[in-house]
Amino acid sequence: MTTLSEPPPETLLIRRPGPQELHPARTHHRRRRALELTLAAAVPVALVLLWQLAATRAWIDDRVYPAPSTILADGWDRAAAGDLWPDVWATLKRVLAGYAIGTATGYALGLLMGSLSLVRAALEPLLDALYVVPKLALLPIFLNMFGLGEGPQVALVAATVFFFVWISTMSAVMSVPDGHRDAGRVFGASPWQMFHHVLLPASLPQVLVGARIAAGVAVLVIVASEQIAATNGLGHLIFDSRALFQNDVMFVGIVCVAALGVIFSELVRLLGRVLTPWAPRDRGRGQS
Amino acid sequence: MGEPAPAPGEPYPKLKAHDLTRVFGRTPHTVDALGPLDLSVAPGEFVCLVGPSGCGKSTLLRIAAGLLRPSTGTLEIRTSLRPDMRLRRVARPAAMIFQDYGIYDWKTVRANVRFGLDIQRVPRRSANARADEWLARMGLSDFAHAYPATLSGGMRQRVAIARALAVEPELLLMDEPFAALDAQLRTILQDELLDLTQTTRTTTLFITHSLEEAIVLGDRVLVMSARPGRIIAEHHPPFPRPRTGDIRATPAFTSLKSELWDLLRKEAAPA
Repeated sequence: MTTLSEPPPETLLIRRPGPQELHPARTHHRRRRALELTLAAAVPVALVLLWQLAATRAWIDDRVYPAPSTILADGWDRAAAGDLWPDVWATLKRVLAGYAIGTATGYALGLLMGSLSLVRAALEPLLDALYVVPKLALLPIFLNMFGLGEGPQVALVAATVFFFVWISTMSAVMSVPDGHRDAGRVFGASPWQMFHHVLLPASLPQVLVGARIAAGVAVLVIVASEQIAATNGLGHLIFDSRALFQNDVMFVGIVCVAALGVIFSELVRLLGRVLTPWAPRDRGRGQS
Repeated sequence: MGEPAPAPGEPYPKLKAHDLTRVFGRTPHTVDALGPLDLSVAPGEFVCLVGPSGCGKSTLLRIAAGLLRPSTGTLEIRTSLRPDMRLRRVARPAAMIFQDYGIYDWKTVRANVRFGLDIQRVPRRSANARADEWLARMGLSDFAHAYPATLSGGMRQRVAIARALAVEPELLLMDEPFAALDAQLRTILQDELLDLTQTTRTTTLFITHSLEEAIVLGDRVLVMSARPGRIIAEHHPPFPRPRTGDIRATPAFTSLKSELWDLLRKEAAPA
């Protein structure tokens, strides 16, 4: 036994309010948010400025990497002169047509396969196998099927979009909790009522995430396919101008494609917000 | 007692289970979940089922709801025919309230309450009127156009109750409806449900883990054994109707609760 005459040395651990608690968070939070926004804008701006500086100081070859100001001016001139729009319009038409076809068919088949297990049993292995085929590898087939017009381009976008929407729709419908179905069954919902009141809305948020990813990928694919087999469009413009050593035009094309992809997937996201007012906000960027 | 609890032998029970069993799985890996069980519920009676986890309480309720078929035996539900909606009403005379998943996040509160009526193809105008009536009754009128995600747990269960009662079911089935709520909210909702069912006199089968809940609400409390669930005891809480939540403070309440607990402890303790 130790003697109790001298108490063992003790350290007192105290939890105190910190600066955030003492000076309530309003200013701090706002400052933090402002900092984040500033950083989000400042980093790209700084990189562009660095690029500009490097090009004007001839640290890099401005024939290969034209200065951002050159690209901007060139893009402006081409837009004003009307040279740019035919290509933008051609790409846009293909993306929209392919996206519409791919989304509609993917959604319909996804719903069908998600809700009917026999259809799923019949088609899932086949579609799973096709899913892993790089869609660009199908372009030659589409060229044979549709000739040299708009057909193959639209078909390629549609095929790509189809798989994204199909797989997200099917898994969304399958993951609707049984409890939701039970609640409908107790009230005596018919198969159509169950579909309309339960499965469709319950799966919609997840379907829309798939649709948004597909929007980004659609732009990605069209550029590649226009390079291979088209006489206009932004993809054609990018590769054609490189071949002609018009690197400034090439960059104009790249910027246009990037803008197109961002605008398109943001539009799909906005549409999703309108269609699913109950769902938590999907704030993510296009993850393609 | 204000309303004498009907004896099991009463001539026209609302619900009658005879030799009911349910087996899950396939041989040789079968699990006897329920029974054999005999049960008779009189019209307007509020029957509470308590029992250890996994004793087949929910299985019984799901059979009554038509979500599951019995393995052997029968369960009869006596319905009053209404000529205009005979087929529909006979097929689905029950409404069920779930512990969760019951109400739909994608429907507004009002559309949720209207859901059962929509399924029965009640014309929109009268369905809305009935839904609004129930919303007012449950104190939810201000939230009619809100989505359930913005509501608290207690509010959500009020919506579920309103939705079930809006179809004026012949039989109300409740599967641990308050289990996910905190103790205070539970007490409040128990009192609300007591008030409500004493007015509507809907025949109710109520599953709970809480003995207190069972005694407060039930005309009859049935204690079920561990799996396979059979009814091992039956109690009639000696409190006249209309009763209020105040009975929780009476000595009779406490003694019945401890009596039931003694029974249940034997079943709930691992063998």
